[in-house]
Amino acid sequence: MSGKIKVILSKLGLDVHNRGLITVAKELRDAGMEVVYLGNALPKEIIRAAVQEDVDVVGVSSLGGAHITLGARLIEEAKREQLRDAVVFLMGGVFPPEDNATLKEIGFDEVFTPGATREEIVSSVKRLVSNKKG
Amino acid sequence: MKEKEKTTREILGEKLSRRKRTPLYNPDALKTLRQQFEQWINTIVRETDRENWMKTPRTVLGSDIPREMLYTPLSIPDLDYAEDLGNSGHEPFTRGIHANMYRGREFTMRQLTGFGSPEDTNKRMKFMLDHGATGLNVLFDLPTIQMYDSDDPLSEGQVGMSGVCVDSVDDMGLLFKDIPLDEVTISIVTHYPSNTAILFPMFLVLAEERGVPWDKLQGSVQNDITLEELIRSGAEYIPPQDCFRLQCDNIEFIRGNVPKWNFITLNGYNLREFGTSAVTEMAVAVANGIETLDELVSRGHDVDSIADRLAFFWSPANDFFEELSRVRAVRRLWYKIMKYRFNAKNPRAMWMRCHVQTSGVCLIQQEPLNNIIRAAYHALAAVMGGAQSLHVDSYDEAYSVPTEEAALLSLRTQQIIQQETGVTDVVDPLGGSFYVEALTNDIERRILDEVDEIERAGGYVAAIETGKLHREITTYFSNQQRDIEDGNIRVVGYNFHKSDIEPPSIDVFRYPEGVEERQKTRLAELRFNRDNQKVDGALTALKDACAKGKNILPYCIECARVRCTEGELFKVFKESYGLWKPPTLW
Repeated sequence: MSGKIKVILSKLGLDVHNRGLITVAKELRDAGMEVVYLGNALPKEIIRAAVQEDVDVVGVSSLGGAHITLGARLIEEAKREQLRDAVVFLMGGVFPPEDNATLKEIGFDEVFTPGATREEIVSSVKRLVSNKKG
Repeated sequence: MKEKEKTTREILGEKLSRRKRTPLYNPDALKTLRQQFEQWINTIVRETDRENWMKTPRTVLGSDIPREMLYTPLSIPDLDYAEDLGNSGHEPFTRGIHANMYRGREFTMRQLTGFGSPEDTNKRMKFMLDHGATGLNVLFDLPTIQMYDSDDPLSEGQVGMSGVCVDSVDDMGLLFKDIPLDEVTISIVTHYPSNTAILFPMFLVLAEERGVPWDKLQGSVQNDITLEELIRSGAEYIPPQDCFRLQCDNIEFIRGNVPKWNFITLNGYNLREFGTSAVTEMAVAVANGIETLDELVSRGHDVDSIADRLAFFWSPANDFFEELSRVRAVRRLWYKIMKYRFNAKNPRAMWMRCHVQTSGVCLIQQEPLNNIIRAAYHALAAVMGGAQSLHVDSYDEAYSVPTEEAALLSLRTQQIIQQETGVTDVVDPLGGSFYVEALTNDIERRILDEVDEIERAGGYVAAIETGKLHREITTYFSNQQRDIEDGNIRVVGYNFHKSDIEPPSIDVFRYPEGVEERQKTRLAELRFNRDNQKVDGALTALKDACAKGKNILPYCIECARVRCTEGELFKVFKESYGLWKPPTLW
């Protein structure tokens, strides 16, 4: 794969907690990726921005309990725009342990919970992007 | 230079230097002690300990303040008991705001509650009261905090999550059903000035409709610009200056109409949790307090009649002695600011009263039961520091909002401290410790230095507008994250003594289902049944008040009476004040 990995990051819905996502934004940028930080947005807006920006990765963050409801809508929107198989989808945040599996069933490629290290995040992003891009 | 142009640190420096000090320690005795100390350190103390005499604890959300290996009178040679400590309930209030502290009044056990529908939260609040909670503490859901109605497209999928949904007075009524508003003290966690101006009027109208006079109501709102403009993530923000004006409007109205209500909780807590040090947390809240009082004095209010209802909100993290010492430190500093900068006469106006919630950021997912122990130490530090009320975070909050069982365990943690340990029988039990007094002095100086820096940068609102504070805080938490990942800050079970054993699984809270649909139906009924002409009239009057720069609270009250919804009021604010783009944080 050639070129810089381009990532769009967004807070899902109205969630107020952005420390984690800001940290991830800095880490991915420091790892040489191009980061678009969208702020708070709904699934539809996130996917629209992902199309416009032509990104490789969509990362969303949810600490407010809406990870499943809004996460599922994000993947639906992605499928509608035919992004699901071309782009890597990541979710980070605070959720009950068994929800990690649910989020993957919904269609997220990887899920990060508090305690995920920058190495884990950066290397997962690189690996997942190269898998998808072939 | 005129008094006004001097910074708080300069004013305090000048006025305090004129006071006569009577050091407790005899100079001859100190001289002898110093000789003995020199001899001890050179003969008894090992060389490596001598070389590493100062050690800086690296802790989650710590301030990196270096500590001596042993504290002695030489660490506080100038200690003047009356000037620096005083007896409890007496200036400078270092030892506590009440003479008898917890002997007279137990700390209020005020567990934060909020999830699902108003009925769901009402049930949990009653459960807590039935199990010995002595106050209520209500948290709203994300749409309510962010000021959107439950049927707003932005609220989709989030109604009743992280808190309780409230759209109108009617929801407020369901939330407090069968709870006597004039008997229980109620903390209504309206984080922002904007949502305070919307939600508190709903509470007041509820009281009015139940026949409870406003002067019988006791409790608090948060009403703090720090949350609205500095540390939240949101879709829409009004400009900081307008937000600050709303903060002051709320104070002015509540002071005049709801006399026993605490109209602002200067919020260090959420800033700390966002990721900053013990010192910065307090400096920011103090700087906001100073600027707020300046504004109210310039509006013609007497500082003594305003400041006696100010309250603070702190987050104690892992460094036990830093946490308890800094509560003492900021109590003394606030006294000095009130007495010497604002020339307050009423002792109550000089009190730093505070609610404390144990740190959520310090809780981790790995081996979650360990969080019970962490929170208990946080709570103990708060009590040692002399807090007025307390919330203990639950061990499962690294996953979701607490289950009933976990919430009860948090309440029990408080009750065990209060009833079983005996620590509340003696006022300020650690006062006079060489270590605690030295650390208290050090932290007080550091807080004042950071307040000074904010004032020199143009004041609190300016420090938000320019992004100065945003940048400093982001730098702090990025560095913390790195230090934790690199193991420089130890977290047991995560980066230190990690275990391969699968910990016992815990029950995790699940939100009740169907809340959003029910709430949408309720809103549709409300919009259909209310007098929409009155609603339009009230909203137009509010808009006019915003444009004319009047105190908007009376207009918000009228809006609540005629059943305007939260989102309708926020829309008026946005149209009137415009939107602000906060600084980029990364």
